Amino acid sequence: MKETEKIFLSLINQHKAIIHKLSKMYMNGAEEQRDLFQEIVLQLWKAYPTFKGKAKFTTWMYRVSLNTALIYFKKDNRKVDKTPLDENIDIADVSDSADKEEKLAYLYTAVQELNVIEKALVFLFLENQSHREIAENLGISEVNARVKLNRTKEKLQFIIKKNGYEF
Amino acid sequence: MNFEDIKNEWNAENPEGDSISTDMLKIKQAHTPIDKIRRKMKHEFFYQMFFLVFMALIPSIFGFSALMNKIFLMAYAIICGFTAYYFFKFYAFYKIAYDMSMDTRKNILWFYYEMKLNIELYKALTYIVAFISFGFLTAYVFIEKATIFSRILSNLSPIYILLNCFVTILIIGAITELWAWSYYGKYLKQVKKVVDELDYE
Repeated sequence: MKETEKIFLSLINQHKAIIHKLSKMYMNGAEEQRDLFQEIVLQLWKAYPTFKGKAKFTTWMYRVSLNTALIYFKKDNRKVDKTPLDENIDIADVSDSADKEEKLAYLYTAVQELNVIEKALVFLFLENQSHREIAENLGISEVNARVKLNRTKEKLQFIIKKNGYEF
Repeated sequence: MNFEDIKNEWNAENPEGDSISTDMLKIKQAHTPIDKIRRKMKHEFFYQMFFLVFMALIPSIFGFSALMNKIFLMAYAIICGFTAYYFFKFYAFYKIAYDMSMDTRKNILWFYYEMKLNIELYKALTYIVAFISFGFLTAYVFIEKATIFSRILSNLSPIYILLNCFVTILIIGAITELWAWSYYGKYLKQVKKVVDELDYE
């Protein structure tokens, strides 16, 4: 294995959670998530020569991963599963950790109803990025990023309520 | 709904998964619209090459006269020239290393305008080849089948001839636009949607 490949794989394996979460955010089914995951890894590898180390590896990784997810073209027209989760989950019986998992599962289901830019805003917000960083990543003004993020949060709240869940 | 709580839970989540291996870096088929368009253009190149080779055989198939052979050679050379120009442009586009680490807006706009430019070039080439072929066919009929053709022409009114030419142009235009749209349009539409969503305030 070449040295560059080794370094890349080590870096990417350290931060693979970013790609996993992004794939879950943009795709609903397990198979589609796996496809997008692979696509992001491939695009990161293809773009790796452009990483000069001036910015943090994760900053570069967010951009390439997000840009790939935004224009990713599904292999076929598999339908998005929007079945409400509460059909399968018995809320009363779940433990604290299961409750947290459940909240995230509801979040992942709800974000499927957002458009690709709204998904990007929520993703970057949850990844602890400031309004300035979100604006820089998306190439929009900071004010616009703030306004769009607030609107998206309201929309997300509405979707979660509409689906009969509250947290 | 408390977004700060969600944020904490999100950050605490550590999805388990297999390690990313070297095999994953060797997958050839990428699925971004730009990769798909590049692949389609590559196929287009092979179709075009086949078409040009087939075209070179036309004079011997139809047994053209010496004059017709010269006209054919002119038309063939022009078509080859335009095709070479288009594929040179396409090759430059194919070879360009696109930078996915630009901010989203720059990245998407780059995709959009590069794709649009290539689709327009593709349409221009189709028009050029179609009109040269049509022109050649007209010359063939006038020269090789002059007696039959002049008999038919004498029975037609000028308005009918003009109308026929106009309809032919319309059909060529419609086929070119429809073909380009069905072949590349959906990718362009997808990227345009992202641009619009990004610009929406």
